[in-house]
Amino acid sequence: MHPLSLILPACAAASLLSAAEPSHDWFPWRGPFQNGRSPEHYAKNEFKSEPLWKIDLAGQGAPLVIGDRVYLFGYRGEKGNLVEVFACVEAATGKTLWEHTFRDFLSDNIYDRYAIGSPGYDPETNHLFLMTTTGVLMSFDMEGKQVWENSLMENVGRLTFPNGRTGSPAVDGNVVIINSISANWGAAGPAANRFYAFDKKTGEFIWASQPGLRPVDGSFTTPYFETRWNTRVFYAGTGDGNICCVNARTGAPLWRFQLSKNGVNASSAVDGNLLFAIHNDENIDSSDSGRMVAIKLPEAIPPKQEDPTKTDATPLPPAAEAWRFPIGAWSSSPVVVDGKVYQMTSTGNVYAFECQSGKELWHLKLSEDNLHSSPAYADGRLYIPFKGGATGPGGAYETALFVVDAAKGEVITSLKLEGEGEGAPAISGGKLFINTRKKTYCFQIGTGAITVDPIPAPVLPKPGPAAALQMVPGEVLLQPGQEAKFAVYKIDAHGERLGLAENVKWEKFIPPTAKVKATADAEFNAEGALVAGPEAKMSAGAFKATSADGLIGTIRARVSAKPPIAQDFESFAVTEDHPSETGTKFAYPPLPWLGARFKWEIRELDGNKVLAKTLDQMFFQRAITFIGPVDMSNYTVQADVMTDGNRRMKSDVGVINQRYLIALKGNDGTVEITSNFERLHVTTPFTVKPNQWYTLKTIVDLDKEGTATVRAKAWEKGSPEPEAWTVEAKQTHGHTKGSPGVFGFSPNVQKRVYIDNITVTPR
Amino acid sequence: MKISRLSQIIAFLPLAAVAGDWPEWSGTPGRNMVSNEKGLPTEFAPGKKIKGKDEIDLATTKNCKWIVKLGSQTYGTPTVSGGKILIGTNNESPRDRSKMGDRGILMCLDEKTGKFQWQLVVPKLAAGKVNDWEFLGICASASIEGDRAYIVTNQCEVVCIDMNAQANGNDGPYKDEAKFMTPPAAPGQPAPPTAEVTPKDADIIWRYSMRDELGVFPHNMTSSSPSIVGDKIYVTTSNGVDWTHTNIPNTQAPSFIALDKKTGAYVAEDPSKISTRILHCSWASPASGDLGGVPGVVFAAGDGWVYGYGMGLKKEDDDVSYLEELWRYDANPHEYRFDQSAMPRKYATSEGPSEIIATPVFYKNRIYVAIGQDPEHGEGVGMLSCIDASKRGDITKNGAIWTYKEIGRAISTVSIKDDLLYIAEYAGMVHCLDAETGKKYWTYDTKGHIWGSTLVADGRIYVGNEEGELTILAAGKEMKKLGFIDFPSPILCSAVAANGALLISTQTHLYCFAEGAKPLPMELPPAAAPAAK
Repeated sequence: MHPLSLILPACAAASLLSAAEPSHDWFPWRGPFQNGRSPEHYAKNEFKSEPLWKIDLAGQGAPLVIGDRVYLFGYRGEKGNLVEVFACVEAATGKTLWEHTFRDFLSDNIYDRYAIGSPGYDPETNHLFLMTTTGVLMSFDMEGKQVWENSLMENVGRLTFPNGRTGSPAVDGNVVIINSISANWGAAGPAANRFYAFDKKTGEFIWASQPGLRPVDGSFTTPYFETRWNTRVFYAGTGDGNICCVNARTGAPLWRFQLSKNGVNASSAVDGNLLFAIHNDENIDSSDSGRMVAIKLPEAIPPKQEDPTKTDATPLPPAAEAWRFPIGAWSSSPVVVDGKVYQMTSTGNVYAFECQSGKELWHLKLSEDNLHSSPAYADGRLYIPFKGGATGPGGAYETALFVVDAAKGEVITSLKLEGEGEGAPAISGGKLFINTRKKTYCFQIGTGAITVDPIPAPVLPKPGPAAALQMVPGEVLLQPGQEAKFAVYKIDAHGERLGLAENVKWEKFIPPTAKVKATADAEFNAEGALVAGPEAKMSAGAFKATSADGLIGTIRARVSAKPPIAQDFESFAVTEDHPSETGTKFAYPPLPWLGARFKWEIRELDGNKVLAKTLDQMFFQRAITFIGPVDMSNYTVQADVMTDGNRRMKSDVGVINQRYLIALKGNDGTVEITSNFERLHVTTPFTVKPNQWYTLKTIVDLDKEGTATVRAKAWEKGSPEPEAWTVEAKQTHGHTKGSPGVFGFSPNVQKRVYIDNITVTPR
Repeated sequence: MKISRLSQIIAFLPLAAVAGDWPEWSGTPGRNMVSNEKGLPTEFAPGKKIKGKDEIDLATTKNCKWIVKLGSQTYGTPTVSGGKILIGTNNESPRDRSKMGDRGILMCLDEKTGKFQWQLVVPKLAAGKVNDWEFLGICASASIEGDRAYIVTNQCEVVCIDMNAQANGNDGPYKDEAKFMTPPAAPGQPAPPTAEVTPKDADIIWRYSMRDELGVFPHNMTSSSPSIVGDKIYVTTSNGVDWTHTNIPNTQAPSFIALDKKTGAYVAEDPSKISTRILHCSWASPASGDLGGVPGVVFAAGDGWVYGYGMGLKKEDDDVSYLEELWRYDANPHEYRFDQSAMPRKYATSEGPSEIIATPVFYKNRIYVAIGQDPEHGEGVGMLSCIDASKRGDITKNGAIWTYKEIGRAISTVSIKDDLLYIAEYAGMVHCLDAETGKKYWTYDTKGHIWGSTLVADGRIYVGNEEGELTILAAGKEMKKLGFIDFPSPILCSAVAANGALLISTQTHLYCFAEGAKPLPMELPPAAAPAAK
């Protein structure tokens, strides 16, 4: 690729240029070509080891550079004070222009594994996007004003994991897409790797896509977008070991290629008709671990699988693999430049290959270890951060940043940085920006005039005749008395929007493949709004829209309880035959509760109907289930709780109040307040007798400074409520809102817990 | 001292390894990673892997007796007894195509030929990574005594198996092998068919589930190699934290137990409340030997302390008995536990405290062990302690004869030969110290993470690393590199010397090297049936 003749000064702000024109901007996190390559060339390639600036912001993703500003997803502080940060700083100085901080809540994140991801950016709306480790997806304008937010943990059942992998919101067309494991409701209830697309302007749900099989691992790969087969598509790795191709307009799974039995966590890149992917786990067809592959993209989208019960994407044949090489990487993404692909490995190597042939050009052993970091390329040089650079007895555990001649495979220079290097560089205006787990750095890498390669504008699919309807939002949650309105678009066979449909008729709809034949207790009115009546019952189901010209589309809707919530489970018909306990009857938990089915069930206990933790599956030994709206604040949650058990083993049971978890710990003999254990963990001794009902009452008080005081009391059910709170915990900048919920953890699925008489009462 | 007591002590003294078998992890009850084998090959080559296949081009090997294909991940260093080898691996090279999928596998091989004899097949707990991480297989080494072997499986259980397997009938009280080998149904899926018991399946004599009986919550994997002492076996339970890595689901479950080796019946548990302090998990194997004139076992725990237990028992009631704690020693110096402001240091930071994964070693009335962490936690500060085994009580302040902090985290067990101590650290360095004083003689950097331990045999030190490199150094006060052998797969196990041969297990293959040996044809797992058209 030859540089354009256009020459810009190194400090020029290029954000005003359209995406089709030369630009210095670095977005998305792998840069403007989505493959780690910078379009810049320098009068002089000159890496200066003294940073232009550095700031105390840790991160494990990549910065974005738009114009003369750098947008950073990072974290700061430690223990109870640690917060994730979304910061905007001056590219020239590192001076902070604005920032937002976010506290963890209810996640399994450990060892400060935060900010393993990057912001997203949309040049059309000039909006930024960020998803926190806990799954709050937000949009901001360029001055840091929040446009919308959507708590995916509480709204779509997005799960968190100890590894903290979060990823980057990816923007294409009208949507912002995230990749995660979620346990939602109905057909989307079982935990699976799903891509969720939200309207980039409003945050409204548009579609969910589940192109793979049951996941073994999480995945946080960023979609790689392109237009092929006259269709806007993306490619992304999933937690079941596939590279999946998905229609980026509709979420329709198109094809998949499985290379691993575990997850694929490195993002992919494309050169011509080849897609490059890597993983570091069990191979699907050999008994060694790890593989880098080039997948030959099919000439046409393969037909759907013949079996209508199979909803995953059509598998490509093994022959789609053009070449493979026996190296592995956990989540290092490749760089593709001028027919060559560069790849870091999990054991600290860097390899260069010819894209088309897979011929190894060179490799370098630079470190012993690598987890998340990925290289970037500019003007013939690779910039390669490593988790650890040099090691020795007792250890120097600092990052090395290597500058490597990409043609020769020779180290030009290297230096140590403070903090482990788990991120990827961003390059803009002759500067390199990089996070470590302690700092954010800016280095000069090129001096003099800068020339910039063109960044081709995406070729968009040619629209065809209308083929279906797409509704925005594609799914809603209503409380009794609420209504929702929908924009109904005609789309062509490839998902391209053709305009609004008119005279749409709505009807309740049970998909023929639905295992649960349920409908939502709501009706469409003459204005096309979905209305839940004032007495609407907790329910969920689908609706079908049909346009005047016979086009069809569906939405899903849930009707939840309206606060104040009072649930004693007596209205449930306990009539289902239990699959693993002969003679036992049960009822499924309310369908609108996310991820609740098979984790909870309603049973009769001593003539009383109660919510009981299931004991059938080790996978479901723990359950957190939200039972109310996400925007609730300042309320009391009270419930009767009980654990089965004996002297050797009991279980834990509790409630969630405004993103704080309060639990009776059976084995530990405590009442506990947490919201991510490393951020908040306060306990008070409290003897938990097995098979004794206790009443647990919780509140969260927020003072004017924003400090939350979480208070809980527990007492034997039926005895007088004690005056004093049993346990209290304070958290500065506490959580101001959040769904109420229930919690049960039966270690080894041995001892059942029960919950009854739940009340959620606004204060 | 009464004669009976003396004979009891002698029976428990750590024996110097003798030429011959290697029947348990580290070879002997005292766990010193030293072999008295002689005549081991000086030069050998593992051969080149045939591209795209599991086979090795045997013409490219040297001094290789045989090669066996294992699964895709192998952590269980082999043990050798009575002409048989037991090795833990996973099921990614399935020997029985009726038992496919992710399983823990303990494979029994013929020592002379490497030919597959039988296997113990253990389904996963199906809890995800938190209790039984996918594809790790069986990570422990079996302890073999006569025709019985004791193995801790990925299901958080202790299993006694018959070294003759099903060939001499289904012995022992346990007859549920078919049920044992059948995995649970996946969520929303029908129950899989009951497994068929074949002559190539293990014969379980007894089974003790530490989950069912004690409420143990294993973290990521259950692994330790039992110590056999008299009529008991001592086992680490692997009780640990959950997903949050802070919450310990069962603080009441023991971290260390004793079972009756004949019946598998519960005998006793640790009285030390270790499970209330676990940093991550307890995976260290115990060692047994003399503790200041009395026989005992030493357990290096998940709280970063080392505990010496005597043979005495204290009965609490019909269900609970406690071991007799003789001493305890914090293997983390104060500055790893607390910072300069006296605030607790965070676990899994490079400066913070560690648990113990290495096995404590008995040598001349002393215990040697280093602290370390799950390799996933990376590198960090470490310490090797030489502990006076004769002291009593909390001996943190007065029990260390010396400590050595010029070492990073180590999960490797020490080798001590002729009063010279060798230890590998995770970052890849091998250290040689004076066992008496802790004085450093030399270090050597293998430039790859080391998971296994050094083996000292025939005047050499053998150690493998994550890069698949086996480094051979000369044993002695002078550092001398003798060889460097590149294997096609990472080496995360320790080398074993037994009956004139050297066994090296990589993640995927087990190699047997002997001077002058010519390789037998490689026996590959049965191929899959042709796909239905």
